[in-house]
Amino acid sequence: MSEKIFALFLRLYPARFRARYGEESLQLLRDRLRDETGLLARLRLAFDLLTDTALALPRAHRISAPSIGAAAASSHLTPSFRVLEEQPLRPGAIGIAGLLSAASFAAFVVLLSIAGTRHHWRPAQDRIAQNHPVSASAPPPAGNSLGGASTVPANASASAGAPAATGPAAPTGAASLVPLDPAERHRVVAAVATDLETYYFDRSLGQAAAQHVLFQENHGADDAATSGSAFAVLLTQQIRTATGDLHLIVDYSANPLPPQPVAPPSPRIPAAFRAALLADHCGIERAAVLRGNIGYLRLNAFPPPEVCAAPMRAAMASLNHTAAVIFDLRDNRGGDPTMVALVASYLFPRPQPWYNPREAQPSTLPAPFPAGHLANAPVYILTSVLTISGAEQFSYNLRMLHRATLIGETTAGSAHIGVFHRIDDHFGIGIPAFRPINPYATRDWEVVGVAPDVEVRAADALSTAQKLAATRLRASSLK
Amino acid sequence: MPKRKLDPLPAAAFQILLSLADENRHGYGIMRQVEEQSGGRMRLGPGTLYSSIQTLLDENLIEETSPPRNHDAPNAERRRYYRLTSAGRKLARAEAGRLADILRIARARKIFRGEYV
Repeated sequence: MSEKIFALFLRLYPARFRARYGEESLQLLRDRLRDETGLLARLRLAFDLLTDTALALPRAHRISAPSIGAAAASSHLTPSFRVLEEQPLRPGAIGIAGLLSAASFAAFVVLLSIAGTRHHWRPAQDRIAQNHPVSASAPPPAGNSLGGASTVPANASASAGAPAATGPAAPTGAASLVPLDPAERHRVVAAVATDLETYYFDRSLGQAAAQHVLFQENHGADDAATSGSAFAVLLTQQIRTATGDLHLIVDYSANPLPPQPVAPPSPRIPAAFRAALLADHCGIERAAVLRGNIGYLRLNAFPPPEVCAAPMRAAMASLNHTAAVIFDLRDNRGGDPTMVALVASYLFPRPQPWYNPREAQPSTLPAPFPAGHLANAPVYILTSVLTISGAEQFSYNLRMLHRATLIGETTAGSAHIGVFHRIDDHFGIGIPAFRPINPYATRDWEVVGVAPDVEVRAADALSTAQKLAATRLRASSLK
Repeated sequence: MPKRKLDPLPAAAFQILLSLADENRHGYGIMRQVEEQSGGRMRLGPGTLYSSIQTLLDENLIEETSPPRNHDAPNAERRRYYRLTSAGRKLARAEAGRLADILRIARARKIFRGEYV
């Protein structure tokens, strides 16, 4: 080991030690270099110096750090200052400390931003996946069902969509997690383009969107998407950008999609589905009259009226003489637009124009129940982030008609009006077949959800509604 | 607090005290003497040597002294020489006595086979 290298080693020692013993240490090394010649002796010398540095360095730092305890003991209870470090910090030390701090701060910022983007990215994917679980597992017949009542088993709903082909069991093929290759991407893009040109209600806009996705693919915009779900999200963004239509969606399912039904689905409800609906009490979890004559209906679905009209009418009749009604839709997963209209018809004195995004023509609520007393009762609707589809139609329309006060959280945001076109075992595209006529000046709830009038946590929504209703009833009785 | 740092007395510090028992030496001299008296088993590197010397100086067990007049070593006037203080000699004696006690016990326990130490 040469003297220069050892001089570098010496820099590791505390300044105080170096000032006192640096020259002596170098002298000692020179003496040993002079006395110990030959390869073996030099190797031994190098080994000695390395082990010595490793062993003595901590000790040298320890003894050169002045003892705070000794300083305190010698102060004799009188206030005193003791300078622990005899020398000011070297500029080099300050520089290295500054660099280290800057580097660790930068690393922290980078890590934070990576974590941040992941955190923001995932809900977007989940939302797409969550919005269209029903359409992915069972192509809903056009204009028939708003979403699907998922309080009944999902496979029952699948059998409603394609009874002959799949039977009651939902397909549970092995999840395909194979990364996409460019050939498959191209096949999907080509099919998306063809479907847009063929099925989108605005022919020229559909063609423009088709050209846009092909253009994006040719320019390598799709190359980053290696997983099916990411690719579906990317294509969805592209076609929404091209058309401005948030009802368009490209969907990816890890499980193989059922074959497209050849014949239109039968209007008859299969027996298994009917039994499941009735076993679930048609989604009517509770109908009760709360304190202060406030009606409370906890409704978890809007099931098909063919099966559930009678139980629903019975539930509404049980609340007929209440002074105000709270519809608790916090766990409502949607269902049949006809049932949504049926329940809403109780709240109006005469047939009411009614927005249904699944109808090409403007629709109207059925005639009110003859002996109904709820037409003028205050209505409160409890919502949560889970409130979806048909329940959102109910909430959105009554809010637009100023017929109800919404309390809780912004809803999930799923209008589900596209017709599902299967592309292959894993990809499909939802395309609206007609332009929905929204009579209200705002856009509907697709993606954005329905915002409440009174924003509270879903857990607090019922108590808030009870307070508001009681206050309002007291005020009106004083008049 | 003399007892704090050197209780128990580290082997290196004890060897340094012993090396200075008969003669004042500079750092390299101490290192060579320690190597010799330990049969080559202990070669003190500069870090160990000088931090031990610093501790012994702090505890007044050794002190710096002027170079001997009749030196023949090169640069001898630039080297620092160290000598044992009376406290250092006392401590070395106590340590040797302690080790002798241990040695006596070891003999009584007959852990030495045949050879007489």
